[in-house]
Amino acid sequence: MSKKYSKHQWKANVLPAIVTVGPVTVMLVLLVAVPLLYVAVMSFCTTDNYYNVVFRFSLENYKKLMNPDYLRIYAQSIIIAFMTTVICILIGYPFSYMIARTKSRKKQLLYMLVIIPFWTNSLIRIYGWRTFLGTNGWLNSALQAIHLTKEPLNFLYKQGTTVLGMVYCLIPFMILPLYTAIEKLDGNLLEASADLGARPVSTFFEVILPLTSSGIFSGSIMVFIPCLGYFFVANILGGGNSDVIGNLIERQFKSGNNWPLGAALSIILIIVTLILVRIYQRLGGDMDSLGV
Amino acid sequence: MKRKLLSFIMCVALVMTALTGCGGSDSSSGGKQDKGELNIFIWTEYVPDSVIKQFEEKTGIKCNVSTYSSNEDMLSKVKSESEGTYDIVLPSDYMLQLMIEQGMLEELDKDALTNLSNINEVYLNPSYDPGNTYSAPYQGGVVAIAVNTKKVDKDITGYADLFDPSLAGQLVVLDDYRAIIGMTERSLGYSMNETDPDKLAEVEEKLLTLKDNVCLYDSDSPKSALISGDASVGAIWSAEIALAMEEVPDIKVVYPKEGAYVFMDNWAVLKGCQNFEGAMEFINFMLEPETAQAVSEEFPYLCPNQAAVETMGSDYSDNAAKNPPAEVISSGENVKNLDNDTLEIYNEMWTKLKQ
Repeated sequence: MSKKYSKHQWKANVLPAIVTVGPVTVMLVLLVAVPLLYVAVMSFCTTDNYYNVVFRFSLENYKKLMNPDYLRIYAQSIIIAFMTTVICILIGYPFSYMIARTKSRKKQLLYMLVIIPFWTNSLIRIYGWRTFLGTNGWLNSALQAIHLTKEPLNFLYKQGTTVLGMVYCLIPFMILPLYTAIEKLDGNLLEASADLGARPVSTFFEVILPLTSSGIFSGSIMVFIPCLGYFFVANILGGGNSDVIGNLIERQFKSGNNWPLGAALSIILIIVTLILVRIYQRLGGDMDSLGV
Repeated sequence: MKRKLLSFIMCVALVMTALTGCGGSDSSSGGKQDKGELNIFIWTEYVPDSVIKQFEEKTGIKCNVSTYSSNEDMLSKVKSESEGTYDIVLPSDYMLQLMIEQGMLEELDKDALTNLSNINEVYLNPSYDPGNTYSAPYQGGVVAIAVNTKKVDKDITGYADLFDPSLAGQLVVLDDYRAIIGMTERSLGYSMNETDPDKLAEVEEKLLTLKDNVCLYDSDSPKSALISGDASVGAIWSAEIALAMEEVPDIKVVYPKEGAYVFMDNWAVLKGCQNFEGAMEFINFMLEPETAQAVSEEFPYLCPNQAAVETMGSDYSDNAAKNPPAEVISSGENVKNLDNDTLEIYNEMWTKLKQ
């Protein structure tokens, strides 16, 4: 009797679980866990004279990561990522507020304005910026045409240009979570605040901002982390003068041909990411709103 | 009951799709290997599509082309794929030598390469592959200096002039550490393959003075920055200069008086090649004068094919950027493989320059 019951239970519980969750689990293990483990193992290896990876335990790579030159690039990456995040908040917040508070059909239009650029490859869009900002580009031609400048200005290949490119690429990741947070905001609270005599400015700082801070947090995480790795933006718009951690990793896997060192750098990037996500959780962030 | 049926159907569907996946990949890898295909792994912007199409039409062999933008990229890609993924590669001198030392290449069948006689003897029997056992030369070149004479007053004659503070923010250079560090070494009178740590410390100091002069590191298409006017001086591939000169007549080519970085790229066949006869046919086709000429028209690098040079006439021979003078080649230097410790010093310098 009990055997029959357990068989029934197996059929009822385990079989559907295997069928539905099984393939996803296998996929995650094969495509996420195993490669990550491989990267971790690789980071403790070395290379021989022919760039072959030698599987012999060594802490050499992690020692190299503490090199002052690398530390300076980590610092530079964090500065670039921080500036990008701040600018994204300053631009993204008013825009999200506008989308969320617009009642008419314009709302959909504004939303689409954020989404549509996603349909074009970001690499192409970044090359577009390079053409636009070049010495003979549209911006310089326009400035000269209205006699604002006599000589063409140098916009390209500076740290600021890299930040511009990062903001451009990543701002949708700030706007979308902010929009969700602001959309949830109860209009009655604003009325209550006004009825109780708060001016618009203090309503914003005392009521609106605290209630939408979750959106700011998740937006910041989703902007800050990719910034550290977007090597192509730093390459194309920074011209190699404002590298981020992603550039270091790319160089080790390509021209440097030192995969173990590249793997160790990737592990550092993963650790930084985990620390940031942990801080986010501590601050009361909701993992669901990161879309993970 | 309905739910049970549904889950059963989904089960079946899952299993079926999983199996079709296997079947599909099996037939595509097993069924088409009948001498009719060649997997070619080449540099970007180096072999015209039209030439490959012509080869396909002529022989009926289908070519699958993949590209890379540095020798090291190519090496790591070849190593990470299984044998037989690529049949033909196009490494530069030093990388070819490294691949020979590692036993990664197949000896060429000289009897099949009847067109090897078209190659100028100067480019045959190179030090990195004595007797051309493993390779046949394709094209070569020099890391030369491009100067937009309208924008730069300074008289530039060598690599050393590129470090002049008056050129702040005006330089486009290759994103290639061996080339740029090699250039610095030459400017100090050292070899591009220097290994002495004391001399390298001096090189590093000099290299870091280049930092403020460089506005862009670009190996793929450095001519673009010169043509658009974003850079007025370049230390880049000679053919890129030739192409920039066609767009902007003010740009001139300067061969450094210290002796230039010289390279030669070579066709080679990888061990485990799936279609050796086809590969020989392909390399032989690339050695034909008509092919070399068609290549040179699109990518005007140094052409080692004597027969092609003769038919191209003055358009090629008199163009200093397309056809570097013989003494530039003879006084130039090839990059060589260095030991790991030295390469690490090189890599550190490069990281310092680029931060």
